[in-house]
Amino acid sequence: MEDGRHQTPELLRMDRITKSFGPLLADDAVTLDVRVGEIHALLGENGAGKSTLMKVLYGLHQPDSGEIWLDGRQITIGSPHEAVAHGIGMVHQQFMLVPNLTATENVILGMRAERRPMLDLAAARKRLVELAREYDLDVDPDAPVWQMSLGGQQRLEILKALFRGARLLVLDEPTAVLAPSEVGGLFRIMRQLASEGRGIVFISHKLSEVTEVSDHVTVLRLGRVTGTLPTREATAHTLATMMVGREISLARTTAPVVGTDTVLEISGVHCVTDRGTPGLTGVDLVVRKGEILGIAGVDGNGQRELVECIAGLRPVTAGTILVEGRPPSSALREPGLLGLVPEDRYEQGLIGDFDVSENLVLRAYQRPPYSTNGFLRWGRIRDNATQRIAAFDIRCPGPLAPVRSLSGGNQQKVVIARETQDDPALIVASQPTRGLDVGAVESVLNLLRQQRDRGAAVVFVSTELSEVLALSDRVVVMHKGEVMGEVPPDPAALGRIGEMMMGRSLESIDAGAVA
Amino acid sequence: MAIGRGYSLRQMLRTAAYRAVTPVLSVFLAFLVSAAIIIAVGTDPIVAFGSMLNGAFGSQTALATTGVRMTPILFTGLAVAVSFRAGIFNVGAEGQLYLGAAFGAAVALLPIGLPAFIHIPLALIAGFIGGAAWAFVPGYLRAYRGVSEVVTTLMLNFVAIQLVSYLVDPLVGPIGERGAAYAQSAVIDPAAKLPILLRGTSLHAGLILGLALAVALWILIGYTRLGFRMRMLGANPIAARFAGVKSAREIMTVMLLSGGIAGLAGAVEVIGLRYRLFDHFSPGYGYDGIAVALLANSNPLGVILSSGFFAALRAGANSMQQATGIETSVVLIIQALTILFLIFRPLRDWIGSRAGRPPRLAQDSLIDAA
Amino acid sequence: MQLDVAFLIDWGSAAIRLATPLVLAAVGGVYAERSGVFNIGIEGMMLSGAFVAVAVSYFLGAADPAVASLCAAIAAMLAGGGMAFVHAYLSITRRADQIISGAAINILALGLTNTLYRVVWGSAGRERVAGFPTIRIPILADIPVLGPILFDHSLIVYVAYVLPFIAAFVLFRTTWGLNIRAAGDFPLAVDTAGLSVTVTRYVAVVFSGMMAGLGGAALALGAVRYFTPGMTAGRGFIVLGAIVFGRWNPILASFACLLFGAADALQLRAQALSIGIPYQFLVMLPYLLAVLAIAGAIGRSSPPLALGRPYRRGER
Repeated sequence: MEDGRHQTPELLRMDRITKSFGPLLADDAVTLDVRVGEIHALLGENGAGKSTLMKVLYGLHQPDSGEIWLDGRQITIGSPHEAVAHGIGMVHQQFMLVPNLTATENVILGMRAERRPMLDLAAARKRLVELAREYDLDVDPDAPVWQMSLGGQQRLEILKALFRGARLLVLDEPTAVLAPSEVGGLFRIMRQLASEGRGIVFISHKLSEVTEVSDHVTVLRLGRVTGTLPTREATAHTLATMMVGREISLARTTAPVVGTDTVLEISGVHCVTDRGTPGLTGVDLVVRKGEILGIAGVDGNGQRELVECIAGLRPVTAGTILVEGRPPSSALREPGLLGLVPEDRYEQGLIGDFDVSENLVLRAYQRPPYSTNGFLRWGRIRDNATQRIAAFDIRCPGPLAPVRSLSGGNQQKVVIARETQDDPALIVASQPTRGLDVGAVESVLNLLRQQRDRGAAVVFVSTELSEVLALSDRVVVMHKGEVMGEVPPDPAALGRIGEMMMGRSLESIDAGAVA
Repeated sequence: MAIGRGYSLRQMLRTAAYRAVTPVLSVFLAFLVSAAIIIAVGTDPIVAFGSMLNGAFGSQTALATTGVRMTPILFTGLAVAVSFRAGIFNVGAEGQLYLGAAFGAAVALLPIGLPAFIHIPLALIAGFIGGAAWAFVPGYLRAYRGVSEVVTTLMLNFVAIQLVSYLVDPLVGPIGERGAAYAQSAVIDPAAKLPILLRGTSLHAGLILGLALAVALWILIGYTRLGFRMRMLGANPIAARFAGVKSAREIMTVMLLSGGIAGLAGAVEVIGLRYRLFDHFSPGYGYDGIAVALLANSNPLGVILSSGFFAALRAGANSMQQATGIETSVVLIIQALTILFLIFRPLRDWIGSRAGRPPRLAQDSLIDAA
Repeated sequence: MQLDVAFLIDWGSAAIRLATPLVLAAVGGVYAERSGVFNIGIEGMMLSGAFVAVAVSYFLGAADPAVASLCAAIAAMLAGGGMAFVHAYLSITRRADQIISGAAINILALGLTNTLYRVVWGSAGRERVAGFPTIRIPILADIPVLGPILFDHSLIVYVAYVLPFIAAFVLFRTTWGLNIRAAGDFPLAVDTAGLSVTVTRYVAVVFSGMMAGLGGAALALGAVRYFTPGMTAGRGFIVLGAIVFGRWNPILASFACLLFGAADALQLRAQALSIGIPYQFLVMLPYLLAVLAIAGAIGRSSPPLALGRPYRRGER
């Protein structure tokens, strides 16, 4: 079975690590064992406990119980500094780079300089360039970080770890910010580093990548290890079952539906991101009454900007968007046009300090019956809340409970209850199931189906492909700010969807297939 | 803000009590520390505080003095509280107060022979406009350019003080009284003077106006659409945007309102107490407003109490000095310590854990979200 | 008075003298803001420094003026640093609102200095004490026009000449400066690099307090050599404007202070000059310039990204 592996020396062992935050048990006796020269994948859904485990490894949290062994010696890691001293390097999901400093300055931040306290920028720069050349990682040592692309920043993060002599490199969801063409480059580096005798921990929730690049897999679900095995013995199916705990079926509840009148019309739309880079580069889309359009794609390919443009929160630099024939600036202000379920439900969709009844009228408070003559009618607002809470089965102490005390799933229900109140013609839901447990995910998807059945046009943006296929009537894929093509929500289309996510247009895929 | 919302009376009383604990405790601790300082300087703190109490509340004259001191900081406290509620830091109340005083004085000086019930409101409206105008530029920069309003409003305070100094300059000022011993304007038209509330004192109707304004603002913030929008902006500006609130317009509205109220403070001082526009007439009412708003947790009704408290401190300070020789500046120390204890979080968190929900300042959520 | 060379020398010399306290305080303020902490309490720290400097010099009365002024300067830095420590504790460890903490410190400083002023000097009021020794640099001071303007000042002025350059060097060319800049921009990176955001910020804030205190000492002992209640009169606030004007660079901020000092010096001489502009408009000028700079400075250089935001490890 694992003969060869037992003979390779053990690099890292996290032994029965347990960590809780108040009532929440993030990691329950998790054991992770990484060998020298091994690419070890840590697989699990959002909220499975992967990030917490790695934060323990990096010294950001202390475990409640359990031990950490490095090269066969037990160690404690009290801070990131100690982790680095032990040779543990981490490339986080959120990059630990200071935007206004240059690449070189970022690399030497925190390192003991030769002639303290003088900065030896020249020597550091030289070493950085050497390392970059050695591993074929393209980085401009003098550029300030804010000017670099996300892929470039990630390369810099890797170089930072190598600069400090990391023997164990942890990569947390590294492909989330990469274009598909860059993923290959990342895997190449990983293999090169591993072959040099380092250990790599590769955290992901994407089965395909795990099977492609890793040697060994450990699967986490709800804080527990549900399986650990060599990658060659794992099939996508068994891995998925370990992750979710039940048979994943891409079965749908209904057959795909065809919509009627046009509700949302997007033609030739361009826009710019906050950083000034191109956001949307010519999007054409039509969404009709009584259908769900699923928008798939790797995070960061323009989905966020598209949602903001439709809602009128981001200016369109070219092209037009019409919601029931009205411009996007009316979308949020006029009742009955748009219901928006934003990506970050707590920061964008709710006001934590307000109570449930207030949050439920965040968009409607200006109109009767909630206000008359400029004055709010609190009685009506409360009655409305009581009614919506019952209708949506929102678990909370009552309409006056502060919304921050609700669970994630119930908070999302508040958002959806509010946004669907006026029976809007168009509903845009952006990553609505993010961070929710399985039961809450089902409720949210069902609520969206109900809206479709009512006759709304629904746009469902999600990085969870299984959900997109289960829910949508039509599927489009976004890549680098444009729509690559449309396919029916058929599991058989997975191959084409994947290729579109990597940047091939549907025409070229089909043309290639024919040839 | 809790009336009519559906809370039981018991819940409301409990919340009010818990909300009062932190400020009261802070005040108590501030007095404790000040007592130590007084002892160090060689006086009996009981005697000192006693004479302070006497000077603030001990007689009709004392109460009137407290009332007179309370009026301007009631207005500036309301001005700052309103801005805090919306997540905006208006530290420019001092300058807006001066501009309001100037505008109000200009109107009050006009010998147009109008009856009081027209002349007074005109002067007050002018004062409001003056203060709002002074808040316009910082408000615009914050609303449409994202520039922090803190440094801009602060700088404009000093510009305003100099502007008024010029206006009443005895040599060159357009409304300065020539040949006067002080830099001041002429006396305002008698019809523009606010009525005195208590014969023989300086206590004037401005206090009543301030109290009425406090109640009006309480209703505005808690029970109107504008108030709801302000609270949304202060609690979570991002979600407010996603709910369709035009933050630029709201920020402008709040800044103009806040500036206008501070302007009223200045106008009321002119037509109620001094009857002239004086150079450097404000001993920092605008800055006191910040302390007042803070102690009241930006609640307009609470501002009534906290402005009364600070006014009592100032009124009592004089008699404390006469009785014990302790400098009036000790009062500043008490004021500063009160604020420092107030923002010293463990105090609030400890009380909050008892209440189940910590009393929050409008800007807390901005900090916690960081 | 006419607009001639004598006037120019008088004005230039006064400009430098008036700018000196601002420069010292501004350099410190740049460090604090670069590390991410807004120090609005510079006014109070300057005032405390001024008072302590005069008091120490007063009590050391008979000693050699050079020694007395040195002790006074050190005491002033300790006073300013002490108040800054309180501000740092509240802002960094307690994560309280930095504006309010600074404002409270200003009020506290005013109250303390006013009270202690009476305690020390009673109603006798002003008494001149020993100030910083005046040094006229030979040869350089003989250069026509520029000589007397630049090279005939009290010792503290020469400190202010040199400090901005040293401060800039430290900020941009040493590890300490790198840590401070990183802490103000993206403290999470500093934390994960194994450095302490807390210590870095504390050091920067206490340094700003020490410099503000020294600035206060310069104000009191540089020329007038006595203490008046409230003598800083808003200078601590104009320093905030200079920091923004100078785009958080110690050298540029110091030039802004020089500009403001020149305006201040001009204002004091305006009436005698009978320019026709009332002096109040000249007093206003620095503040207006600061507002214009802030308004116009958008898009050119932004403040440190984490300015004003307390840091908490482990937050998303």
